Amino acid sequence: MNQSKWIFHPIFIFILSILALGLSLFLYIYWYVEASQGLNNLIEKFKLDPDQVLASQTWVVIMVLSILVGIILLGILLIFIYHQKTYQLYRLQNNFINNFTHELKTPVTSIKLYLETFLKYELANDERQKYIRYMLIDVSRLSENINSILNIAKLESKSYKGEFIESELVYVTQKFCENNKHLFQNCKIHIHNQLEEPVLYFIDLSLFEMLLMNFLTNAIKYNDSETPTIEIDFKKTKKFLEIHLSDNGIGLEKKDIKKIFKKFYQVGNPENISAKGSGIGLNLAQNIVKIHKGKISATSQGKGKGTTFIVSLPHQK
Amino acid sequence: MQSILKKKILIVEDEQHIAEGLKLNISLQGHDAMIADNGTSAIRLWREWNPDLIVLDIMLPGIDGLSVLQNIRLEDEQIPILILSAKTTIDDKVKGLSYGVDDYMTKPFELEEFLLRIDRMLKRVSLYKQSTQPEKTNGFSVPAIYEFGNNKIDFQRSIAFCKGSEITLTEQEIKLLKLFIVNKGKPLPRKKLLEIGWGYTGITSTRTIDNFIVRLRKYFEENPKQPVYFKSLRSVGYVFDHR
Repeated sequence: MNQSKWIFHPIFIFILSILALGLSLFLYIYWYVEASQGLNNLIEKFKLDPDQVLASQTWVVIMVLSILVGIILLGILLIFIYHQKTYQLYRLQNNFINNFTHELKTPVTSIKLYLETFLKYELANDERQKYIRYMLIDVSRLSENINSILNIAKLESKSYKGEFIESELVYVTQKFCENNKHLFQNCKIHIHNQLEEPVLYFIDLSLFEMLLMNFLTNAIKYNDSETPTIEIDFKKTKKFLEIHLSDNGIGLEKKDIKKIFKKFYQVGNPENISAKGSGIGLNLAQNIVKIHKGKISATSQGKGKGTTFIVSLPHQK
Repeated sequence: MQSILKKKILIVEDEQHIAEGLKLNISLQGHDAMIADNGTSAIRLWREWNPDLIVLDIMLPGIDGLSVLQNIRLEDEQIPILILSAKTTIDDKVKGLSYGVDDYMTKPFELEEFLLRIDRMLKRVSLYKQSTQPEKTNGFSVPAIYEFGNNKIDFQRSIAFCKGSEITLTEQEIKLLKLFIVNKGKPLPRKKLLEIGWGYTGITSTRTIDNFIVRLRKYFEENPKQPVYFKSLRSVGYVFDHR
């Protein structure tokens, strides 16, 4: 089975059709030249009037043939590229479904486990409190996952405009970290503000919070350090307000830096089953920043050396 | 609850909430439980703590669950292992079962079912232990004496007969030979060899493997420079094969 599979491989088919097309072009011209040669001979043999038009037509015919073959070639090339793209997308999507079901199943498993335990045993009050808190974290994880998949569809539709409210970004960020303290236990988040005046910007509050959530959970999820630490800096350049989010996580390799914002893309081998996450978080972040007319980028010194994400928002006044 | 005997159960699970929930329930059943949140510590705890049963997740950071499973099965064929995974396709199940897992449950699971299955597995082991003398198991289903070419390996006595001489094999050599024999004809990437044979993650140098193969070739190949049994596969790893 495996040995005959390469015959159906798109690259093989692509090369084969190019070869066939090239060969046919050659044969068309060759036969045409032969035929007209024969005709010429015939004309000379029977001493007919040498037809001038025929001779001048030869090059026209060859040119037309070449152009036609060129167009066909271009068509094949386009189909080939589209096919490769679709295939890639299909693989990414498959990957996404696998990862996303895992992301959904894990909190559900946990909640179900504790509920069944509560049904089965009478637990002491403090224990019960502790596990109820676990379940609440799982519920928020679950709703976050569901929200992110719903939002990605919403943000992708061109008609979505967002609801912009003028807000003080440093305050919003501080408030957000405080409200979600339970998610950021065992890690440190420092917010630095190098600006003297308040950072007032029109933003979609719920989207901005989602953006923060994505960056912060990523920084913790992809982190081997004992205490994950995140530094958030607010800076101003000529054209932009820049928010730098630096972590001490696993870092990024150069080749991955551009790809991480692609939908469903995940760093590492798709076969690597230990990879976690859905591959939509950063794509979502990129879309959110786009809606705010800003730019997003990432830098990293390399594997194991942390990552810095930079969100640049254009000045609004 | 007839089994009042306290058993030791190792939970290999990286999701803290699930792991703690399992530990809670196992403790409430009257057993001891420990949690390993990655593959490396799972293998270490299995060796040091000597559990009676292992509950294993597949998706783990570092060494994945299936490699942990194979690593353990190379040395111990008997310890009951139950996979508890979010992977539900038949392929995943077949893979797990073919690597020697005793039971496979998918997440989310029913608590009652999980506890009953564990109970049954523990009971079966204790019955089995009563009827037979505990003896050093062979690990994976490798015959006690294995022959290829002019070589003969006696796994029970850890001795190899090759090139007319007798060699005592180290534990690590035995383990790697078994891994090769079980996977006869299948290419084994260096990373897998390290993970299963040594319990390392990919960070460690793969040179260890290469040095080991040189040693095995010296033992078993007529001409170690032109290996027949332990062949290199460019940029993949090694394959063991013979007629």
